[in-house]
Formats: sequence, structure tokens, C-alpha cells
Amino acid sequence: MTASELLEVRGLDVEFTAPDGAAVRAVRDVSFTLRRGETLAVVGESGSGKSTTALALARMLPGTGRIRAGQVLLDGQDLATAGPQELRQVRGARIGMVFQDPMTALNPVLTAGAHLDEALRAHGRGRDKAARRARAAELLDLVGIPDAGARLDDHPHQFSGGQRQRILIAMALAGEPDVLVADEPTTALDATVQDQILTLLGDLNRRTGTALLLITHDMGVVARSCARVLVMYGGTVVEDGPTAEVLTRPRHPYTAGLLAAVPRLSAPSGTRLTGIPGAPPDLARLTEGCAFAARCALAEDRCRTATPPLAPTPAVPGEESGTVRAACWPAAERHEPLPAAPPPVPIDRPRPGAVVLTAEKLGKTYRGRGRRGRTVTALDGVSLTLAAGETLGIVGESGSGKSTLARVLAHAHPSDSGTLRLGGRDVTRPARRELHTVRRSVQMVFQDPYASLNPRMTAGEIIAEPLHAFGIGDRAGRARRVEELLLLVGLEPGAAHRRPRSFSGGQRQRIGIARALAPEPSVLVCDEPVSALDVSVQAQIVGLLTDLQRDLGLALIFIAHDLAVVRQVSHRIAVMHRGRIVETGTADEVCENPADPYTRALLAAAPEPVPAAHLPRPRNTQVPA
Amino acid sequence: MTATAPLPATGKRPRTAPRHPYRAALASARGRTGLVLVALVVLAGLLAPLLAGHSPTDQSSQSLAPLGTPGHPLGTDDLGRDLLARLLYGTRADLGIIVLSVPLGALLGCLFALLAAVHPVLDTAVQRLFDLVLAFPGLILALAVTAILGPGRLPVVLVIALAEIPAFGRLLRGGILVEREREYATAARVGGSSRIRVLTRHILPNAADPLVVQIAVSLTVAVFVEGAMSFLGVGVRPPQPTLGSVLSQSVPYLSDAPHFAAGPLITVTALVLGLSLIAEALNREIRR
Repeated sequence: MTASELLEVRGLDVEFTAPDGAAVRAVRDVSFTLRRGETLAVVGESGSGKSTTALALARMLPGTGRIRAGQVLLDGQDLATAGPQELRQVRGARIGMVFQDPMTALNPVLTAGAHLDEALRAHGRGRDKAARRARAAELLDLVGIPDAGARLDDHPHQFSGGQRQRILIAMALAGEPDVLVADEPTTALDATVQDQILTLLGDLNRRTGTALLLITHDMGVVARSCARVLVMYGGTVVEDGPTAEVLTRPRHPYTAGLLAAVPRLSAPSGTRLTGIPGAPPDLARLTEGCAFAARCALAEDRCRTATPPLAPTPAVPGEESGTVRAACWPAAERHEPLPAAPPPVPIDRPRPGAVVLTAEKLGKTYRGRGRRGRTVTALDGVSLTLAAGETLGIVGESGSGKSTLARVLAHAHPSDSGTLRLGGRDVTRPARRELHTVRRSVQMVFQDPYASLNPRMTAGEIIAEPLHAFGIGDRAGRARRVEELLLLVGLEPGAAHRRPRSFSGGQRQRIGIARALAPEPSVLVCDEPVSALDVSVQAQIVGLLTDLQRDLGLALIFIAHDLAVVRQVSHRIAVMHRGRIVETGTADEVCENPADPYTRALLAAAPEPVPAAHLPRPRNTQVPA
Repeated sequence: MTATAPLPATGKRPRTAPRHPYRAALASARGRTGLVLVALVVLAGLLAPLLAGHSPTDQSSQSLAPLGTPGHPLGTDDLGRDLLARLLYGTRADLGIIVLSVPLGALLGCLFALLAAVHPVLDTAVQRLFDLVLAFPGLILALAVTAILGPGRLPVVLVIALAEIPAFGRLLRGGILVEREREYATAARVGGSSRIRVLTRHILPNAADPLVVQIAVSLTVAVFVEGAMSFLGVGVRPPQPTLGSVLSQSVPYLSDAPHFAAGPLITVTALVLGLSLIAEALNREIRR
């Protein structure tokens, strides 16, 4: 180990015990090094082992997790075998950690100052209370909280989500660690706030020399934050190299597939996303060979029998050799890179038909508890139209009212004011019987494919539920229709007898879509249908929705916070901010010539998987208050 | 933490089909021990007429015979009745009471919870009703009911049922409130299902698990309540034995004849311990 190497991980193996006693190998033979002051991103989809790797560094594995083999060398000290006392001296003092959810990570009854004081005292920083308080104010100032001294006495609820994450970063920095491990630090935050936090992490790295190990699922975040990237799949590292190199000239087919699956803001409306076929491997039953072989277009026979080592790849045109390592047999012999992102493929889709849904000045207010409960205006005069065969994309950050709008449009909640017309009929506040018929033509696809399916029912029962509710068909007819719907959404008819827990996230979302299509609706309201899914699966589901629209002439409302995916699927886009639609227009127009300052801020903050050097200079855009 | 594969929540499921949580619970070491203890006590109660050898009310023997007296393996009580017979029949009487009263209380509690789910006004009314029952300490309630109905089996059953209503009612009400806000319930409503169907087909099955645990917990509480009522002399009428009444009778002789109290104490302990173990095992398994 040379002096510049801070952390060296050698052959790390982490295992969990599943509830049924089976061993799940979450991390397999992971090796990498982190140099002093370096920024390293670990990127992968759910189940890739990226978070487990990060937690294993400071031996913070949850539940049944244990390190089975390997070393974690921090300046030569092996943390994998260190005792509790040694670990205490490392945690916080040498390895600082920041987690995903800033809303629950701060104790609500303690002030920001108390949190920082505790962190400082734990590492013996500051002689007395006054010195620690002064240092706490310095730290808050360092992470960019304005008027830091005065805000020390504020409680967590007085800070916004982004500010709370800043406080957590300040706490992680209190022990002046050599490395900051940030596990999905911006996933729970809006794009504009994410941008600020990533900028902060970059600044801190430059100013304090703290190395950064950033765990993320988002290629865009990688591009904005780190100089080097480690791509993980199925518990192993498949590619390791400089970010600029990996993002533009990926060597491993998985990296290339992942990059192709990321929606690009530059891809025009009406183009198809390329997904990776298949689903990630089950870590409880891994077989010999490359974990990606089953989904890989380049797989050869040896890929299925022998596990490829992480080895330097031959230089490709335009690159110095040996900077990128990949765990892939074919890549070891190839001298040209894989395409990072294929050009967008236009889809032929029919022109939208007649208007089916009109909303005028919809309003919805939620009241807090009690007589003096705070009222929250979720919808403030929202008007929109939707034609048959058309996709209207609705984008906005959390709290902008987009989910409320979805629920009002799908008649899950009534609106307080305004009118809603369906095919010319006023359906704002329908009587019970009328509501039943209205619901048949407006169906909804939900965000969370785990929560939106009743865990006690089989997929077949779930899909048949609306058929039953609307009295469609007899028993045999319903069974036939369920089979038809399963095929329509790309599942086996045999899936009807399995319960939701035996499906993957993407498959569950397909069941949710089949359920929504069962009563043959004319309008489908999709509330963040892909935001809980991995990128490679997201592309499959988006493609499915587009195909269904083309074949069935559905009118789609597509709600999402990711502008890039919305642009690709939508004919028109409406941008929501604080319960209002601030801008509408055709998808390409809104993304290329945004009229509203808020839309411009959203566009500027959207993380694109393009190396930082290729990015335009960040414009000084602030979210209007 | 992000969705890392090995956590159960992400549904990386086992090689074999997942077992039903209740079966898994009863197959665990904790659950098995509980089952064995409860089964022993229940068998003793069921087979009382075969095992006893004497009538529990027959006073023809010598009083306060010690352990191991020929014909009276557990000895006799102060009135010369066979203690083994009194213990077995007492267990039988206790079991009869708790298996009647707890399901009755559970049923009534659940009905009230369903009523509360209909409308916020009804909800408030039902909640206050529960508060009213809870406001009376169990024994005051027992004395009040016995004062009206007189001592006997029925008042004991009613008191236990009454005392259990709020426990079950609140539990199910809470479950319904939580499950009602889940996305799958919204999905069912948007899918056109009627209110009754959403409640019975979607919400209730998902809210029912804690009730099963509560039944096991309530059975243990019922054993205590019955014991306490008999001990105070407001329970089942003498000379019929119950565990509580035998215990109450033994108190003056604790120093001279400790075996008198030992039988009912050990039986109650075994029953309560067994039920608690089962409750704990179920609880652990359904929280997975």
C-alpha cells in the first residue's frame, strides 16, 4: 500500500441469512482502493450490493449480515477483524457517514447545535462547551447554512429537507474524518436540492481534502460528483475507471446497458428508451459464471461457466491504456468501446384524437388537525385537457400537488372547487352510482408497486378485482380476461396463481397496469409509475405504457419528477409548482425553450449522465420563492 | 439504507415456498414449548373424569392428607376432598370459561371496531364507549357484574368478555385506519370496488394478524381474571372447584401444607407461560 492510498478493500465477501435460513451472498469478492482526497462513486441498481459494501467498511451491517472473507484496510489497519473499541475510534473520527433519509435521521427533540455538540464530544473535539459551540457554528457555516450561529438553537423541523441533509453532513464532518461515506445522500431530495447537495459535497472535498465515497443508483449523480466510478452488479464490481471514461466509453455490457437505459433530457418526445431485458439475479441462487450473462447480448459459453476477473481492458481509440478495469471475458479482448447511448429511436404513434378529459380550475385544500390546523393548498386552480391517444406529462417536485391532481382526476378524492368533464359530461362530484360508471373509464397506476398490491391476494385475483367490481363477465370469462391481460403486459398466464411477493418490482408494476386496464378505461392516470423502479426496468415499463397507448388508444396522464423520462413519453408537458400549473406546452418546446423560471431551474438541476467537462457551465438559477 | 437485496423487505425469496407465518411461529422453539405446555394443561382438563378417580366434591376422606397418600397422590384439602380431582376439574372449569369468554370479547370488540370504521361520528362514540369500560378497574367491574347477576359461571364469562372488548376493538380499529390509507386500498376503490368489498376483502385480512396475537394474550389475562374472581369469592359457586378457588382455600394452610397451593399455582403458571410463548412466537413471525 502506498502512502496516497487511504482505504483498500481486498476480496470482500458479505453474507446475509434469509428468513428461511438460506445464505444470500450480497457482496462477492469486491476489491478496490480509495486514495486520499479522491472522489469515488459506487453505482448500481437495487440488489447490486453497493450499500452493503459501504456499510461493511465501518462494520455497520444490519441484521444477519456478516463479513465472510476479505480485508478492509484503513491505512493498513484491518477493520474487518478489528475489535469494538478500535471500531469506535474509526467510526465518525476516520470514516464519516451520511445516509439517505434526512427527514428521519435527526432526533426531533434535539437542536441542531445539540446534534453537533454530541458529535464533537464523541470524538473529543473542543475543550469546553463554548469551544464546541463555536466549532458547531463553523461547521454549519461550512455546509452552507446561512446565519449559522443563530440557527444552532433551531430544531430539525425548522429546517428544510436539504438543510437537514447539510446538518447531517456537518455532523459527519465533526470528527474530521479522512473519508466521507454518503449512501444515496440525495435520493430522498428534489432535483434542485440534490444539485445543491452534490455541489456542497464537491466543494467540501476540494476545501477539506476529505475523500468521498458516494453510493448511488443514478448515473447522473455520478457524472456530477465523482472523478472515479465503480459499477456494481449482482454483488460484484463489473467496471472500475475514471468517470469521464466509463460514461462515454463503457467496457462492460452492463454499464453500456445501464447508460442506454437512462432517459436523456436531450432525447426528443416520442422516442423509445432502451431497457436491459430480464431481471437482476437472485442472490440466494447464484450460479457459476458472470452474474450478468443471462441478460447479456454478448455472452459467450465461457461467461456462463467461469467468473471473469476484474482486469484492465485494452486501450480504445482516444484513451490511454489501463485506466479502466472490467470483469468481462469479451471486453478483455475488444479494442473498441461499447456505444454509451444509442441514438434515440422514434416510435410511430397515432395523432391524438378528440378531447376526453377537461379540468377547469380544480382546487383542493387539506386542513390540518384541530381548530387552528394549518391549511395546505394542494391544488390551486388547475386546468388541463387530455385527448384520446395523447400523453400529458406532469412534472414537479415533492409537494407540488401532482399526486393530489392524480387522485382527483381518478376520483380517489373529490376536488373542493372547479369542474371536471369526462367526454363532455360533468363528473366533478358524481352521485354514488354515477361515480361507479365514471371509475370504469378512468383508471390509475400507482407509484409503489409494493404497496399498491394487496399482499394477501394472487395476481389473478388482483387483476380480476375491477372486473368483479364492474360486473364484467362470468367466472370463466373473467379468468380468460385475466389471462389476456397478463399476456398484454408481458407476463406468463401462469403468473395468475402467484402472490405479489414472488414478483420483482417491475413485474409487480406490470400487474398494477393489468389491473388498471381490466375494465377497458379510456383514461389512465399514472402517478410516478416508474420512480420506484430501477433504471433498466423503468425503460421496460415506459415502453409497455407507450405500446399500450398505441394499441388501445388510451389517454395517458404520466406523472413524474424526472423531466427526461417525461419528455420522452409525453406529447405535452405541464409543469406544476406549489399547486399551480406554471407552464404547459409540447414536450420538446417546454424542455428546449422553457418560459417559466421554475421550469428553467428544474431543467438546470436535472442530472444527466454526461461527464462534468461536457456539461454547460451551471447557470445561476435559483428556485423562485 | 437503499434497497439492498438481502433484507426481507425486498422480497428476495427463499428456495422453498414461504410457509404461512402462523405455522412458522408454531414450529419455532418458542412456539413448540408453548404448545406443549398448553396441550398438557388442556389434556388434563379434558381427561379430568378419566384421570381423577374421585369426585371433586366428595368429602369422605381424611382432611389435609399429605402428598403421596395412598389413593390421594396429591393429598386432600381441609374438607377431605381429593386435591388431584379438584385440580383437574378446576382446570376443566377454567378452560371452559376462558375459551368461551375470550372469543366472545373478541367478536364484540371487532364488531364495535367495524362500526367505528363506518363514520367518524360513530368512531368517536365507540371510542368513548371503550374508554368507559377501561375506566373501571377489572375487579370493580367484576364486583359490579356479580352484584347484579349473583356469583356463578355466567358472570365470570361476561366480565372477562367485557374487559376484553376494548383491547380487540382498539386493535382492529387501529389496523383498519392504517390499512385503509395503504395504496392497495386506494387502488381497490379506484378499481370500482364497493366500500363493503374494500373493507372485507382488502382491509380486514391485512388487519387481522395482530388479533391472533391478542387472542393468545387475552387468554392469559382471562386465566388471571378468573383466578382473581374465584379468589375473592365472586366467581364460580362452591363447592365446584376452579383453579382460583382451590388457591384461595389453600391460603390459611400455606405453612403447614404447601402442596395444597402448589397444584393450582403450577397449572396456572404452565398455562400462562405456554400462552405467552405462543403469543410471542406469533408476534415475532407476523412482524417479519
